[in-house]
Amino acid sequence: MAISRISDAQEFGFLTDRVGRQQVAINDLEEQIASGTKFSNPVQDPLGAAQVVRLNGSLSALTQYSSSTQFGSDVLGAEDDALGQAGNLLTRAQEIATQQASGLVSASDRTAAADEVQGLIESLTALGNTEQAGRRVFGGLALDAPQPFAPPPDDLTTYDPSTAYTGSTQDFYVKTGATERVRISTRGDTVFQSSLQALTDLWTALHTNGDVSGTLSGLAQGQADLSAERASVGAREAQLLDRSGQVTNLTTQNQATLSGVQDTNLATVLTQLAQAQTALQATLAEGAQLAQLSLVDLLKV
Amino acid sequence: MAISPAFSIAQRALLANETALGVVSDDIANVNTPGFTRQIPEFTSDPPVPMNGVVVGMGSHIASVTQVLDPLLQRRLLGAETDSQQQGALRDQLDALAGIVNDVNSPSLASALTGFFDAADALARNPGGLAERQTLLGSATTLAADLNQRHSDVAALQRATDASYVNAATGANDDLRKIAALNVSIVAADSGSQQANELQDERRQALGSLAGVVGIATVDNTDGSVTVSTLNGVVLVDHGSVVNPIAVTTSGVGLDGAPLHQAGIPDPSGAGVIALPAAFATGQLAGLAEARDQQLPAAATALDNLAVTLRDQVNAIQTDPAALDLNRNPTAGVPLFGGTGAGDLSVLISDPRQIGAALSAQPGDNQNALRLADLRTTPIASLGGSAFTDYLAAEQGRVGEDASRAEDTATASSGIQQQLQTQRDSLSGVNLNEEMTNLLKYQRAFQAAAQIINAVNATFDDLFQAI
Repeated sequence: MAISRISDAQEFGFLTDRVGRQQVAINDLEEQIASGTKFSNPVQDPLGAAQVVRLNGSLSALTQYSSSTQFGSDVLGAEDDALGQAGNLLTRAQEIATQQASGLVSASDRTAAADEVQGLIESLTALGNTEQAGRRVFGGLALDAPQPFAPPPDDLTTYDPSTAYTGSTQDFYVKTGATERVRISTRGDTVFQSSLQALTDLWTALHTNGDVSGTLSGLAQGQADLSAERASVGAREAQLLDRSGQVTNLTTQNQATLSGVQDTNLATVLTQLAQAQTALQATLAEGAQLAQLSLVDLLKV
Repeated sequence: MAISPAFSIAQRALLANETALGVVSDDIANVNTPGFTRQIPEFTSDPPVPMNGVVVGMGSHIASVTQVLDPLLQRRLLGAETDSQQQGALRDQLDALAGIVNDVNSPSLASALTGFFDAADALARNPGGLAERQTLLGSATTLAADLNQRHSDVAALQRATDASYVNAATGANDDLRKIAALNVSIVAADSGSQQANELQDERRQALGSLAGVVGIATVDNTDGSVTVSTLNGVVLVDHGSVVNPIAVTTSGVGLDGAPLHQAGIPDPSGAGVIALPAAFATGQLAGLAEARDQQLPAAATALDNLAVTLRDQVNAIQTDPAALDLNRNPTAGVPLFGGTGAGDLSVLISDPRQIGAALSAQPGDNQNALRLADLRTTPIASLGGSAFTDYLAAEQGRVGEDASRAEDTATASSGIQQQLQTQRDSLSGVNLNEEMTNLLKYQRAFQAAAQIINAVNATFDDLFQAI
């Protein structure tokens, strides 16, 4: 039904309604600008609100994956360093064994060589006890745990490398994704056992004037074990690096999506605000005219 | 017959226009009175009498002062008011609910939930760290407190909704009494003078107020009274008496454990109250009841489901037969979460060492902590196959969607109501320009009638001088 007549109360009621609605619209736009977000309540955008919760959840998980990846890289880096140094120790031991095997060395040389090998055993034990932020990297990453390798006694004749390791035999994994896990522990007993045994055998051969050349194959085996583990550590470091890149990309993507869902487009909103303000101004100006358009003023009864 | 019929015609014309001026003044005075229906004086010409061999009209009088209104429109307005109030009440409650389950901003329940899983991830990186363990306990406590708070917020909203329901139902009785009293006054006035117009406006206002609370049907009786019944035919007011006042009884139990209420009518036998859910299934009462009995409990159920699932899933890992705490003691009998739902979920452990992060006695074992961290993304059957955060997001989306739909429906029905109100105001409201014109019109007529007296008087003067 078309309206053919309008009452005064309506006229002012419409004005109040219109001004009220425009003020609400302006307030809404100002809130978007102030908060930097398109909505602050699920009623305003139910789907967007659900997405925001989901994306925030994903971002928070990705932050953790990133921390775990970083932690894993740090630990594997420490292992890599230690294994590299251990390899150098073995190389030195092989040099000593080769020199001493020639049989042209004096007794004092042998004693000196035996002393150096004892030093190598101590150094290798220290490497096996490497700590990274209080965690034993070759001892199941236990925190503030006793040294996994018992220090060799001064008199190595009683030293048994096969029982030197008392650390954890449990593998330690970091969680780098919903289901992705990477092993970052290296068991000290499996990787250092053969080297310690070979060094001890060399020391014994030197100490007892025994068959030094017979220890060379053992040293080679120890070196091979260290290299094999180092290759594995390197592979896992590469895996973590790869994962770290993925996590960074996913984070960037999720942030971009979140921003698209949630963030105010300032250019648009500012334009809308200017429009709304102009409209309100026009309505108010029109309202001021309204009061003048009355017979009350024109008729002098 | 007067000395001159013109005198008496002029006299009645003066009276009639004076009355008309009064009606216009009344309209002008009520220009801003809500619900006022403009009135117009109905001029009627008086029956002619024979005079000097011809029949001459005897002037006019005001037969009645009638209200300008459309009864059909009034009836439709009542229906629109019922619908608008029903949707508006539902909208308001769902809006409040959406505010409670709002997880868009941090901190919120969602951020507490991710905070808990963040702590589990940190624990998996350093299962022996006391700081990590303390953080996990702290975030579990925050999560439980947030769930408690959200549940109690929903329960408080339900309680407030119930209080509004009771207020609306009892307030409607004031309208019923008012309508009955006005019925009596209108019947009395109608048989006498024209006083009933203002009373009818007042009754229409009361009917509108009642229709907002509960849908009503009205029947206009010939004596001017109106019979009011609910939409399914329960008579509430007949003539001068409130036949069935609205009574409120307790019905059902709220989320806070206290009873909820239901509108009904007193049993005719005088004992108790008959609950009439169908009679009160429209209007504000229905909107409030829908939010109170359906939407709010659904939101609370979802929270309970989340809390219980969290408790069970976390405890299953914590109390694994192989799980060991930092001191290598089994944690099979040491659950992390206790309680029966979102309202009373609590953390049972106070010593961070008691978190069972390991599945073996090996130092540094993080296997169980990894399982806890995995919970973040594990789809869970009792959550409809969603992971925790996704469930919360979906639940928030559902409530937001409901609230948004209620808002749309409320806007639409209030639009219809406003459209009808516009039509009503357009027809029945006062337009000052029109009244000013009428004022001028009746003033001119009054002046002209005065001139008649003047003219007749002058004529008689001429006659008297001639004698």
